Amino acid sequence: MTSLLMLWEISLLLCMIAAGALCVLVLARVLGERKDRKQEDLRAELLPALLGDDFPAQRLTGTRLDVAATLTSELAEMTRGTEREALLSRADAMGVPELLVRRLHSRSAQTRLVSVETLSLFDDQINETCRALDDRNADVRLGAALALAQRPDAPSPETLVEKLRMGSEEHSLLLVSLMSDLVDRDPGSVAALLFERNIPVEAKIAATDALAQGGGEYAPLLAYMARESFGEPDLQPRIYRALGRNGHPAGADAIAAGLDSPEWTVRAAAAEAAGRIGAAEVSDKLGRMLADEAWWVRLRAGEALLRLGPRGIAALREAAEAADQTVRSTALAMLAEGRAT
Amino acid sequence: MNWLALSDPAAWMVSAAQVIASVVIMTGVLQTLFYFVQLAYAGAALATRPPVARTATLWRRYSEQAPSISVLAPAFNEELNIVESTRSLLALQYPDFEVIVINDGSKDGTLQRMIDEFGLSQVERFVDRSVEHAPIRGFYASPDYPRLLVVDKENGGKADALNAGINCCRTSLFCAIDADSILESDALLRVVRPFVDEPHLTIAAGGTIRIANGCKVDSGRISDIRLPGNFLALVQIVEYLRAFLMARLGLGKMQALTVISGAFGLFRRRHVVEVGGYSHGTVGEDMELVLKLHRLMRDRELPYRIEFIAEPVCWTECPDSVAVLSRQRARWQRGALECFAKHRDMLFNPRYGRIGFVGFSQILLVDVLGPLIEVVGYVLVPLLWALGLLALPWLLAFLAVTFTLGIFLSVATLVLEEIQLRRFPKIGELLVLAAVAVLENFGYRQLSNVWRLQGWWQFVRKQQSWGAMTRKGFATS
Repeated sequence: MTSLLMLWEISLLLCMIAAGALCVLVLARVLGERKDRKQEDLRAELLPALLGDDFPAQRLTGTRLDVAATLTSELAEMTRGTEREALLSRADAMGVPELLVRRLHSRSAQTRLVSVETLSLFDDQINETCRALDDRNADVRLGAALALAQRPDAPSPETLVEKLRMGSEEHSLLLVSLMSDLVDRDPGSVAALLFERNIPVEAKIAATDALAQGGGEYAPLLAYMARESFGEPDLQPRIYRALGRNGHPAGADAIAAGLDSPEWTVRAAAAEAAGRIGAAEVSDKLGRMLADEAWWVRLRAGEALLRLGPRGIAALREAAEAADQTVRSTALAMLAEGRAT
Repeated sequence: MNWLALSDPAAWMVSAAQVIASVVIMTGVLQTLFYFVQLAYAGAALATRPPVARTATLWRRYSEQAPSISVLAPAFNEELNIVESTRSLLALQYPDFEVIVINDGSKDGTLQRMIDEFGLSQVERFVDRSVEHAPIRGFYASPDYPRLLVVDKENGGKADALNAGINCCRTSLFCAIDADSILESDALLRVVRPFVDEPHLTIAAGGTIRIANGCKVDSGRISDIRLPGNFLALVQIVEYLRAFLMARLGLGKMQALTVISGAFGLFRRRHVVEVGGYSHGTVGEDMELVLKLHRLMRDRELPYRIEFIAEPVCWTECPDSVAVLSRQRARWQRGALECFAKHRDMLFNPRYGRIGFVGFSQILLVDVLGPLIEVVGYVLVPLLWALGLLALPWLLAFLAVTFTLGIFLSVATLVLEEIQLRRFPKIGELLVLAAVAVLENFGYRQLSNVWRLQGWWQFVRKQQSWGAMTRKGFATS
């Protein structure tokens, strides 16, 4: 009986606690709304000072500085070039960078992330921004790295690989964006990652993807990697797609080899790449792939043949008369889809 | 209980009454404990969630790397809303996506309205045949809307239409939605996050469903969030908060999520094809898909993640009449029972890890046993107390598990919502919902359990129909 009564009493107590918490939150909302209104007024007051030339920028403190820092973060995202430079100069005069540095110690990962992204835009804050690469939160570390990668004085790719713990803790697709930014600045040091033994595979994949956008000079390297990654079904398709994006004919031999892969994911990626680089010499092979058991391979082979122009379309037309039902229907559908009937 | 007294008829009746009450109360306590754990996990999930970026920041970050998505919108007799819904989908903020509207053999003018409004003409499309569905009659597209493809097929139900969409899509990810729902413009950018963060592990992710009744809709967007005036709709807002903010978020954090709503879920196509797509012959096709994905990955002993994310929102219209709501709830109950029966070998099976122990325990306690035992409790416990066979503490304990703890959980979910998400713009709305969280326990909860018993009955009789789901359409400004 005691336990039954206790259950009742505990349930009542819990209800009262929840109701009390809700009341506190409602009160906090009322007070918060007043604060929000005050901040809205301050935003309206500070906006011209951050954006306009007519308002002398002066050192701010307290809530005014808080609002100025938040506004700077928002406006920096919307501005570019000289407009952004002028904004940052005024924010600097107001004392915004110092507040952002203090915010890097906030308990909120959200606050730290926004702060480091904004802080990275100030030329004299590179050291503080780099410290965020050691943040306890992976999103903040990645945000800091992405922000730093856009600067001419960004840390080396190897440093970023190590700080972000790529491969062990960091697996994001955004690593490709990071590497792409680094390639713009120093493609050689990104390419060097591919030859380092201790660099994790994920970092190398990201570097490969990024290098694909770096021009034809990396096509032989990508082709070499495509061949060397045989037997790695997760890695090889990405390299073939990178070869396709790279678009250089130097990748043709490697792509032709990929068309014979036992993995359908590799065959599909290689077929796609063949179309993208215009490898007309493999059009017969692509025609035969219209009989592949994997739908994705048939689709990519058909798309590639359409991309190859007259030679590819001729191969499709020939396949449209094949005895094999799968080949015939695939070719007919692709021709109709490409309006090449 | 005094076993020696069993020879005494009066003592025997008291003992029997206590056994009944014990079963009812213990089941209630177990359910409540389960909810407490979910609430704690949901709180932890919100407290430790990755920083939530602004839409502009997300766009800047994801514009180059976000994987392409096909949005699959099955439509059956949606003549009234289909154009506005499609326009809303086409206006989604996402770098690379395609909208595939699947006309599932509508008997009204759904297809013709789409053809007329978007200037569509018949085209050819090379499609996969990996998953089964009713025959496709044709494809429609327009150069003016390169992101839009309309698939016209024979009627086969929602699962069948989604399977057709899966066969037609050419992206590694697809997002299954209801054609009559409204996705927030940045919903895809937000729900794709686990696929960007953990591309090798994530195979599915679900977002939050919110109720749009009472809200103003302008050009396919929610322009003014308001509470509805209808009590049933208000209660469902509290129910959805509990279901998504507490249960799914908590289970997602535990990696034991057993359902991603059919109204809004993002899936890796390859894995869905491997499990045969959506199942025919069940009304719980969304739950069954997730269970099949768990089974696939566990059987192969592959690491994977199925996530729930609170931020992306899909707005939907909920039933505001007893007749329609009862049909919906009975159908949901039937769907859960069908899934449980089909995959019962996963229950407490160590091979399926936390899905077998946590996910299936939840289904067993909440969906299988919950309504049966609670209704028995409503009938017998007060009656036995009135007959003097149960002492007052038994009745109070029963009230604790059916009323007061229920109120606590609902209000605690509101507290969580207010601390972490704060989606209700006005304080008054929060207070109204708090009042509803109390009132729903007196009448609505009991009625809801009766509807679920109807679902049980339909399951036992192997009834398969969906039942009519009448919608009024969104209030446009």
